Amino acid sequence: METKPIRLLLVEDNPADARLFRELLKEITTAQFDITVSARLSEALTKLHGGSFDVVLTDLSLPDSHGLEAFRELHSAAPTVPVIVLSGVDDETLATSAVREGAQDYLVKSRSDPHLLVRSIRYAIERHAAERKLIASEAFYHSLVEHLPQNMFRKDLSERFTFANQRFCQSLGQPLEAIIGKTDFDFYPPELARKYQHDDREVIRTGRTLETVEENVSPSGEKLYVQVVKTPIRDAHGRILGTQCIFWDTTERKRFEEQLQRKNAELAASEAALRKSNEDLKAAQLQLIQAEKMESIGTLAAGVAHEVKNPLAILQMGINYLTKKTPPGDENIAMVLQEMKEAITRADAITRGLLDFAASKQLAVKPEDLNQIILDTLKMVRHELNKNRIELVKDLSEPLPKVSVDKTQIQQVFVNLFVNAIHAMPAAGRLSVRTYAKQMTETTHTEGSRKSDHLWVGETAVVAEVEDTGTGIPTDLLTKIFDPFFTTKPTGVGTGLGLPVSRKIIELHGGAIEIKNKTGDRGVRVTVLLREHRSS
Amino acid sequence: MAKKRILLVDDEKSLTSLLKLNLEETGNYDVRVENWPEDALPAAREFKPDLVLLDLIMPRMPGGNVAAQIDADPQLKGTPIVFLTAAVRKHQVEENEGIICEHPCLAKPATVEEVIAMIEKHARK
Repeated sequence: METKPIRLLLVEDNPADARLFRELLKEITTAQFDITVSARLSEALTKLHGGSFDVVLTDLSLPDSHGLEAFRELHSAAPTVPVIVLSGVDDETLATSAVREGAQDYLVKSRSDPHLLVRSIRYAIERHAAERKLIASEAFYHSLVEHLPQNMFRKDLSERFTFANQRFCQSLGQPLEAIIGKTDFDFYPPELARKYQHDDREVIRTGRTLETVEENVSPSGEKLYVQVVKTPIRDAHGRILGTQCIFWDTTERKRFEEQLQRKNAELAASEAALRKSNEDLKAAQLQLIQAEKMESIGTLAAGVAHEVKNPLAILQMGINYLTKKTPPGDENIAMVLQEMKEAITRADAITRGLLDFAASKQLAVKPEDLNQIILDTLKMVRHELNKNRIELVKDLSEPLPKVSVDKTQIQQVFVNLFVNAIHAMPAAGRLSVRTYAKQMTETTHTEGSRKSDHLWVGETAVVAEVEDTGTGIPTDLLTKIFDPFFTTKPTGVGTGLGLPVSRKIIELHGGAIEIKNKTGDRGVRVTVLLREHRSS
Repeated sequence: MAKKRILLVDDEKSLTSLLKLNLEETGNYDVRVENWPEDALPAAREFKPDLVLLDLIMPRMPGGNVAAQIDADPQLKGTPIVFLTAAVRKHQVEENEGIICEHPCLAKPATVEEVIAMIEKHARK
């Protein structure tokens, strides 16, 4: 069976004993031995250093060493080689001590027989090899556990620490001895300790691994994120004995992730801001173009109006003269002259509108009661309302804050709005006028206006709403209603200047005007916002 | 009753001739027309009008200057002047109770009746 001889070092100063062992070994047929004998410890040590032995048999009383010391020196010189101690009948106690210190076995010289000897040698070699493996394996795991950058610990079923690796000891700032037997409550704030123990119990209850990310607070008070893996510890029968936990700090990664997220969000935000400012810029440009257009139309209108007025005056004079000179009874001439007069009146109305549009920007502003202005204006259109069978509904808030306005100009605006409403309801209807004060929740902004005089958020606005139940404004025309000369009314009825002039007036007052089709109902709602009068 | 003497100063020839025609048609007025503003003062000195109808916007010299010349002339001092102009709007005139630049004012286009009413109101009696 055994092909290789067992290399044996026999340390024995007594030649008779040495010879005895040689004889005994020779009798063994199941194994072959390659025997080296040393009479002194020093010599044995040298030999151990030089060659490789499978086993050492040593006497404990040598000329240069005695007792346990001899064993110790041999054992430490070659810890990988199993040692069997030889003893006399009288020093069995000593031999037993050697075994306790790591000797594989002891043999009482006088009671040795080949059978016992070979069994002892074989067992020594086998056991020693197994021990070496175990030690190596333990060292391997120990090294792993202790050098892992992760924190590791174990707890028993009563939540007491039974093990902690170096890293965890460092984390707690405590030596291992101070951790074993303690619980989380000895090291962590109660709420954290409770949470940790709750998790442990969960692992014990379910028998499953628990993975989680915990928010932790370091002793220095900073927030930490910790990745945790908790597993149950089982005995050979699968019964759970406690828990084992590995955790590691992921704060850095978490921070990095958060930073990344933040940067992403910032990037998205700045992109959105950029896009918005681009949109704003475009809108502002359009507005500027529109405002520019309005300004030039205004200037042009004033010039045209002035130039047209003189010829109109001449025509007026001419017609006056002809009217007087026409012999009575000629109906045709009278009719022609009447038509001409009406044409002049029309042309004059348009030129007047144009001049209003290009009106000087000086306002005679006084604190006024908007309700009163509206009531006065309604009187001016009462006849038209009655004629068209239009019901008037007034809902004027009292008291209403005063507004700083040029009364005549604002009246002109409301005349325009009322007349438009009346025109939109040729066959009866209802005109509703409502006033109230409100706090602005957004800043007004009027397209086509170059004015920076807005109603700002938080300011009190006095609002007038004029509603009709008329035809409404076709959606595609909504953008055009403030364009000068744009009108849907029959020739001679509308100049196309009412709303542009109205808006201009409202804007001169720092107010805003908005015209919308009513939602869900027929007709149009015009909202006029004016700034509250502030005595300063 | 003596006819009122009206000096009409306006660069619009058609207007002046038609207005003259209309006014003289009533038989109540003697109208002299000047179409150049710088001719207005000499004409006034010579004609001694009971009222001057004066355009505001004219080439070379605005009506306001002509009015100032007349106001400053010792002989003509106090001669009533009425501006007749397309440069003001009717409601502006009304708001200012008819007074613009310290003189009454009539917005063009005005009917003959309106002009006559102005003359009757302001002309030297």
